[in-house]
Amino acid sequence: MLAYQIRIALKSLRRNPALSVLMVCAIGLGIAVSSAFITTYYLMAGDPIPDKSDQLFYVEIDTWDPESPFDDDYPERPPNQISYRDLRAIMESDIPTYQSGMFKSSLTIQPEGENESPYRASSRLCFAGFFPMFEVTFEFGGPWGASVDENLEPVVVINGETNRRLFGGEDSVGRELRINNRNFTVVGVIGDWRPDVKFYDLNNNPFGEPEEIFIPFNFLESMEIVSSGNDSNWKTYARDTYQDFLESESVWIQMWAQLDNRKQKQAYLAFLDAYALELKKLGRHGRPVNNVLLSVTEYMKTEEVVQDEAKMLLIISILFLIVCSVNLIGILLGKFLGRAPEIGVRRALGASRLSVFLQHIVECEVVGLLGGALGLVLSWVALQLINRLFDNLLAFHLDLTMVLAAVILSLFAGLIAGLYPAWRICRVAPATYLKLQ
Amino acid sequence: MIDMQSIHRIYRTEHVETHALSEFSLKIEPGEFVSVMGPSGSGKTTFLNIAGLLDTFDHGTYLLDGEDVSRLSDREMSRIRNGKIGFIFQGFNLIPDLDVFDNVDVPLRYRGMASKQRKEAIERALDVVGLTSRIRHHPSQLSGGQQQRVAVARALVGTPGLILADEPTGNLDSAMANEIMDMLEKINDLGTTVVIVTHDAELANRTQRQIYVLDGKLIDIDSHEQHTPLYTPAESREAANA
Repeated sequence: MLAYQIRIALKSLRRNPALSVLMVCAIGLGIAVSSAFITTYYLMAGDPIPDKSDQLFYVEIDTWDPESPFDDDYPERPPNQISYRDLRAIMESDIPTYQSGMFKSSLTIQPEGENESPYRASSRLCFAGFFPMFEVTFEFGGPWGASVDENLEPVVVINGETNRRLFGGEDSVGRELRINNRNFTVVGVIGDWRPDVKFYDLNNNPFGEPEEIFIPFNFLESMEIVSSGNDSNWKTYARDTYQDFLESESVWIQMWAQLDNRKQKQAYLAFLDAYALELKKLGRHGRPVNNVLLSVTEYMKTEEVVQDEAKMLLIISILFLIVCSVNLIGILLGKFLGRAPEIGVRRALGASRLSVFLQHIVECEVVGLLGGALGLVLSWVALQLINRLFDNLLAFHLDLTMVLAAVILSLFAGLIAGLYPAWRICRVAPATYLKLQ
Repeated sequence: MIDMQSIHRIYRTEHVETHALSEFSLKIEPGEFVSVMGPSGSGKTTFLNIAGLLDTFDHGTYLLDGEDVSRLSDREMSRIRNGKIGFIFQGFNLIPDLDVFDNVDVPLRYRGMASKQRKEAIERALDVVGLTSRIRHHPSQLSGGQQQRVAVARALVGTPGLILADEPTGNLDSAMANEIMDMLEKINDLGTTVVIVTHDAELANRTQRQIYVLDGKLIDIDSHEQHTPLYTPAESREAANA
């Protein structure tokens, strides 16, 4: 019966093409706007690594100023990054399955060839644990091992774009790359790894692309690499040497640990608490022990990745879709009531009120789905324009989930538009119209 | 087949009450061929609508095929209309978007029949009315007579026990009207009860029984043997006196 009703609906839509196009466009516009904003919201708020987001923990330890909290608005919260001194101590733990301190920097790549100019590349210094922890996928080669961190071997992982730019997209594993006047050997080329949100560092543009190159963290001392991200400090220190900076209380490093079970998490937190207590005894800080392990989603919530404005826009876009649907009610009502004589015939031939109602709801849903298809196309175009406008900074795209969401929204819009007209036409007394045809 | 007792049907507007049928009692036995005559506004169509479960009534009882249909739900009434009653209308009432096959298919769709059975039934019905060659034509491509034959096929296709025809020849010339009447007679010969509303005394004379309705009341019943109707429609009288 559904196939029959869809066929009848399509015939009905063909009967008045201009009106049908108008209705489809109205729903399409609503779907386009709402899909675009839902996509935005979904990418911002979605779990970027759902299969292990509850095993990855962002580490926050409170060694901040005893006189005032790190964030006056949230005085209970520890600083959202850690100092180099704390990183060194924490990395000594063997409790986590993987762990990595990291920071963002900007390094100079000096390509081979006389015609190639050096250029600045977004870079991340991290430990070997970064790659398995965040499930980085590789096109060629792979991550470096833990021994590289210990032995300070000059290796580099590059992204696909860098590989295309410098090595023509070929397998560049084993090739040399000169970075800040030092040669590094390529060990891996990242594949299509591109988290919707750069959740591993929300301090520096959560919606940006992952960095172009990754080198072992421990090169920071010998190459005196500074962070290009945010840093905070509460205690003055001598700024004469790079070592002074490393020894300071300045917080600028993001710290992550993979803790696969509750026991592991408890042990790691106990380790952090013991460390903070020890520092307190030594007089390095005077704050209560307040260390926090935030899961990926907790970290995103705490850092307010989804702005209130995005939530408001989402609500407005849904309301816009509802307004588009409500505007169709009058058109559909007129169209359906104009067909009352035909409905009278169908009722005489055995159609119940329910089947008449369903037939018209199906027609509205067909309009909704056609509008949804149009809306998805418009939405895709809009997202491409947004991406171009922001130079792919946000990398918004439609995925299967969003297409399904658009389909559900289309059905919802069709239902809103069609419920009242379908109800009215199914209440029509058949005898009234049988003489009128 | 039809057993109506003291049926009242009142149409109400804000200021006016119209008694379309009052104290209307009638029995029609299975297999009868009955014509209903009367002037315009006398209540013929109201009777036909109530008989076909297309309209409700205010008082009285109505047994259709022995079943009390006074208090049935919409779904049950739809099921009875679909299974037991075939309708033929003056204006043919074919659905313009659908071709002949699909128009005849409509009642079977609501019966939930399998595709193969539907196809066979439709072809059989179109064969009876002689329109198998027009199966993919749309109503606009057919003459009035052909359209009414499609309507007859649509009424027949579900093999109903009762066919209700509201002025089925009203829009046709006399030759085509006789052709439709021939068909209805054939259908009746096969055992189907046929009730037609008509203004045409000549056509009414071809039925077994004639019923006359005036001001919502059944005023007399005649049998076909008398050949002469007891009531002549006003229009016909005026025409005769002119």
